[in-house]
Amino acid sequence: MATTVGSADGDGGEAERLGKAGGRGRADGGRADGGRTDGGRTDGGRDVRTAGDRTRPAARRTRYRYRQTAVAYLFLAPSLAFFAVFLLLPLLFAVLLSLSRWAGFDLADLRPAGVDNFTALFARGSSFLTPVLTNTLLYALGTVALALTGAVLVAHCITHLRFQGFWRTLYFLPIVTTVVAVGNVWKYMYEPGGLVNGVLNALGLRSVAFLQDPVTALPSVVVVQAWASLGSAILILTAGLKAIPHVYYEAAELDGAGPFTVFARITLPLLRPSLLFVCVTQFITGLQSFALIIVMTGEGGPGDATNVAALEMYQRAFKYGDWGSASAAALVLFVLILVITSAQLWLFRRKGADA
Amino acid sequence: MRRRGRFPWLSYLLVGIGAVVTVVPFLDMLLTSFKGPGEYGRLPYRFLPEAFDLSNYREAFVRLDLPLLFRNSVVATAVITGSVLLTSSLAGYALAKLRFPGRDLIFRLVLATMMFPPFVFFIPHFLILVHWPLAGGNGLLGDGGAGLTVSLAALVMPFLVSGFGIFLMRQFIVSVPDEMLEAARIDGAGEFTVWWRIVVPQTRPVAVTLALLTFVGAWNEYIWALLVSTANPRLMTLPVGIQTLQSYLDPHRMVPVMMAGLVLSVLPVLLLFLLLQKHYIRGVMLSGLK
Repeated sequence: MATTVGSADGDGGEAERLGKAGGRGRADGGRADGGRTDGGRTDGGRDVRTAGDRTRPAARRTRYRYRQTAVAYLFLAPSLAFFAVFLLLPLLFAVLLSLSRWAGFDLADLRPAGVDNFTALFARGSSFLTPVLTNTLLYALGTVALALTGAVLVAHCITHLRFQGFWRTLYFLPIVTTVVAVGNVWKYMYEPGGLVNGVLNALGLRSVAFLQDPVTALPSVVVVQAWASLGSAILILTAGLKAIPHVYYEAAELDGAGPFTVFARITLPLLRPSLLFVCVTQFITGLQSFALIIVMTGEGGPGDATNVAALEMYQRAFKYGDWGSASAAALVLFVLILVITSAQLWLFRRKGADA
Repeated sequence: MRRRGRFPWLSYLLVGIGAVVTVVPFLDMLLTSFKGPGEYGRLPYRFLPEAFDLSNYREAFVRLDLPLLFRNSVVATAVITGSVLLTSSLAGYALAKLRFPGRDLIFRLVLATMMFPPFVFFIPHFLILVHWPLAGGNGLLGDGGAGLTVSLAALVMPFLVSGFGIFLMRQFIVSVPDEMLEAARIDGAGEFTVWWRIVVPQTRPVAVTLALLTFVGAWNEYIWALLVSTANPRLMTLPVGIQTLQSYLDPHRMVPVMMAGLVLSVLPVLLLFLLLQKHYIRGVMLSGLK
C-alpha cells in the first residue's frame, strides 16, 4: 500500500506542474487510483475487480504500469521521432551552419568560421542592419498599426449590426486564401492598368507606380498584409467585446456618457487583453513573414526597398548558396523575435496585473 | 445580446466599406479571369469584362500542367492532414490519459516546439532532405544524389507532425471522462482499442477543427513547396505552378490566365471554408495565431 501512496503523490506533483488542465487530470487520476486500490472502501461493490486486485496488488500494479508506459511511448513514438529529425537536428544544424563556411554540396566541405558570419552581418556597409532589419520592423509595425485600427473599428461596429455571421464570413475570406492569390491579385491591382489606379484615375488623380517606386513599395505591401490579417483580428476582438459585461454600458448611459466617451473610457480599457494579444501575435507574424513579399516584389525590390530579414535569409541561402551567413541571419532574426515577444509578454502581464 | 448604438447607420457604413475593400479584390480576380486578350491593362480601367471569355481557363491548362499541380496539391494536403490527425490524437491521448515517467518533460517539449517560427527551419530542412542517407542516389553519409527531393515525400515530411495539434488534442482528451476509459479496460480492451473506440469518437469535433486548419494551411503553403520544386519541378503544387506565370514576358496577356488559375486553386478551399466555417473559426479562436 505504501508504494501506491508514493506513486499517487508523484503523479500529483507531476500533474501540478502541467498547469491548469493538468490539475484537472490530477483530480481524475487520484480518483481512479482510489478506485483501483482501495475500491472496497471508497466505492464498494461497484467495481468487480477489487477482489482480484487484493490477491496480488503490487505485482498487478507494476505490470499495469509497465504496460501503460510501453503503450504511451508507442503512441508517442512517431511524434518523438519527428521532433528529433525535424526539430532538434535542424536547430543544431542551423547553429552549426551559422558558425561555418560552406558552399553547399558535400557536408565534408564544411569549414569552421567562428562568428565571422555574424560579424559580417553587422559590418560597416552591410545592408542587413539598414535597410533590411529596419524594413522588417517597419513592416511588422505598419501591419499591426493598420490591422489593429481597422479591426477595432470594424469589430466595434459589427456588434451593433444584424447578420454578424455574414459580415464575419466576408472579412474572413482572405485568411483561407493562399498568399500567391492574395499577392498576385493585389500586385496587378496596383499596376497602372489595375483597379487601384483605375479608382485613382476616376477620382481625377494621377496613377501611382505603387510597387515600382521605392517610397511607396513597402507601405503598399504592408497594406496587403494588414488586409489579409484583418479577419482573425476582428474575430478575436469581437469575442473580447462580447465578454465586456453589459452593466458597464448601462451605467455609462445613466450617467449620460456619449458614444465616443463610452468607447474611449469603457470599451478600449476593458478590451486591453484582447488588443494586446492581437498586437503580440500579429507583430510576431509580421517580423517573420516574407511569402507575400516574394510574390509581390520578387527579390524585395525596387533595390532593397521591400527586403526584410527572412527574405534576406532565404536569398542568401537559396539564391547565392551562402548557407553560413543565411543561417546566421535566421538566428539573429529568431533571437530578435524572442526578445521582442518576451518584452511584449512582460508588458502584457504587468498591465494585466494593474487591470 | 446585441447592443444598438445611437448611430447604426455609421456602423453599417463603416462595416460596409470594410467589407467592400475585403471582397473587391476577390471579385477583381474573378472578373479579370474572364477578360479577353489585351483587355487587362487597357486604359481607362474597367471593372467588368467586355464578354465572359472562358479562353483564359483553357489557356491555363495549356501553359501549366494543371493535372500534375492538382495531384501534387491534393496528395500533399491529404497526407499531411491525415498524418497530423493521427499523430496528434495518439500523442494527445498518451499525454492526457496515460501515466508514465517522462510525461511532464514530453509535454513541455511539445509546448516548446510551438515557439519556433517556420523560417528557422527552411534551410536545415531542405539540407536534411537533400542529404537524406540512402535516398535518391545518396550514399550512407547522405552525399552524391538528390535525396528525398526525388519524391513527393519532400513536400510533406516537414509537416507530418504538429506540436499545436498534439497540444490541442491533449487539451480536449483530458476532458473525456476516465470512467468511460476504465469501463472499456475492464471489458478487456487494450489501450489501442480504448483510443480508437472511445477517444476518437469523443473528440470528433476538435478533430474536424484540427483537420480543417491543417488542410487549409497545407493547401495554401507556398515557400516550402517553392524550395522543393526548385530542386525537382515535378513537385510543384498549385500555388508554385501558378506563380511561374509571373515570369512570362507579356504580362498583360498572362494576367487573366493567371487569375483563371488562381480562381481554380482558391475555389476548393473557399467552398470548404464556407461549408465548415464554424469549425474553422473555432480553430482560429483556439490557436489565436494565423
